[in-house]
This record gives sequence, C-alpha cells and structure tokens, in this order.
Amino acid sequence: MAMGDIAFNLLIFFVILARSQDDSHLQWSPAEAPNLENAGHSLVSIVVDQDNRLYLNGDELGVAELSGRIESLLGDRPAGSRTVLLKIHKETLAQRFEPVIEAISEAGGEMVHIVDERNNG
Amino acid sequence: MRSGRRRDLLVEPPTSATGDIAFNLIVFFLVCASVQPDSGRKQTIPSSETVDEEQEDQNLEVRLTRTSVIVNGEVVEPARFDSVLAARLQGQTRPEYRVVVVKSDKELPYDRWIEFTSRIEDAGGTITLQLEEERQVVVP
Repeated sequence: MAMGDIAFNLLIFFVILARSQDDSHLQWSPAEAPNLENAGHSLVSIVVDQDNRLYLNGDELGVAELSGRIESLLGDRPAGSRTVLLKIHKETLAQRFEPVIEAISEAGGEMVHIVDERNNG
Repeated sequence: MRSGRRRDLLVEPPTSATGDIAFNLIVFFLVCASVQPDSGRKQTIPSSETVDEEQEDQNLEVRLTRTSVIVNGEVVEPARFDSVLAARLQGQTRPEYRVVVVKSDKELPYDRWIEFTSRIEDAGGTITLQLEEERQVVVP
C-alpha cells in the first residue's frame, strides 16, 4: 500500500512542477480568424494577457529580453520545429504586440497566432 | 450448484486495489487534459533586412487604423478590401511582388489586426510589418 502512496505523491510533485511552467492560469481572450490549423507541438509559448503583461512559458519578462530568450530556447532546431505559440489578448494595442511579433521574427521563430475559429457568413 | 455460482458473482473486488484504480484514473485524466491541441493561424513575417528599400517602394502598402483601412493611400471599405487586394495582387507571380507592407496605428487592437492580416494572406499576399520608431531627441 505504501508503494501506491509514494507513486501518488511523486505524480502530484511532477504535476505541480509542470504547472509552474504552464501558462494556462493567465487571463486572456483570443481574437477570431478563419481557416485555422493545428498548432502542433511547441517549446515556446508567449502570452500578452488582459493586463498587457508579457509572459514567456509562464514567466513574466520585458520585450527587450524576448528575442534572446526565444533564441536560447529554440537553439539550432531546424525549420519546422521552431514553432512559437502567440497568445495575445484581443484588445491589446499595436504598440504592445508589434514589438513582440518583431522579436519572434528576429529570433527565427515560426509564429502561430492562437485564435478562435471564425465562421464566415 | 446454482446457488454457488450466484455467490461467486457477488464477490466484491479487494479493497487493496482501490488505490491502484484511483492512480490509473488520475493518470488517464491527466493524459486527456494535456493532449488538447491548440489551433491557430501560422504566419511567416520576413525580417525587414530581406525586403530591400527599392522593392518596398513597389510593394502594396496597407495602413490600418481603428476605423479605416487605407490601401496605397486610398481609403477602402472593409467589405471591398478582399476584392481590391485580389485585383492588385493579380498577375504578380514573383513572391517579392506579393509582399504587402502593413503599417498599423499605435491604437489598433489585435483583433482588427489579425482580421485584416488574415485577409491579406488568404488573398495570396505575404505580410511584412513596418514599425513606427520612437526617437528621443535631446535638446541641448
């Protein structure tokens, strides 16, 4: 019975560890766009939340550090596996999100805007 | 004989197995929760160095503000935007001629930006951004 308890506690430990790098607790509302596709697996996830704060894999940072941090996360990965998920709150202004897009482009990231499906018509 | 069989069917699983069952249930739900895929729009924006200045003059320019869309200096109704863009990009076979320079107003919200950049890409254009640079001038 003790083995079961040990396994259970280990599982809880790793779940909590994984959630500290997770950004699912951040508050943002996606915009809408048509013709979406599966974003696939990604090492990098960037969020601009409803309070205009910028996060990289759940850690808050400034836009000046963003490009370097993305580059170090992506390393020498080949094209096709350099996906960067971009989750921007729909009311964020261009003066905030455009430098973020520029930083991803500079770091050689393949950007996927995470949005909701818009049905035309 | 019959009564013996009935008694076998009523045997409850050993209580020591409930821990294992709970553990497997937790693993199952964790796996289900972690494989929900995100969906979105892929966007490739060429870096500013790859678009030379001479070429930039010949490219289509779209200026986006909160209330209007301006294509090469001409205000376009949002409903007509797709047809205007398709007409301008028609016959442009070389990728460098399909580049559309997008200039956004500082106050432009993201939902409007993604709507129009998606429409440009769906019309066959390649987006490049032109950011307004802030310069500080120190007066002596």
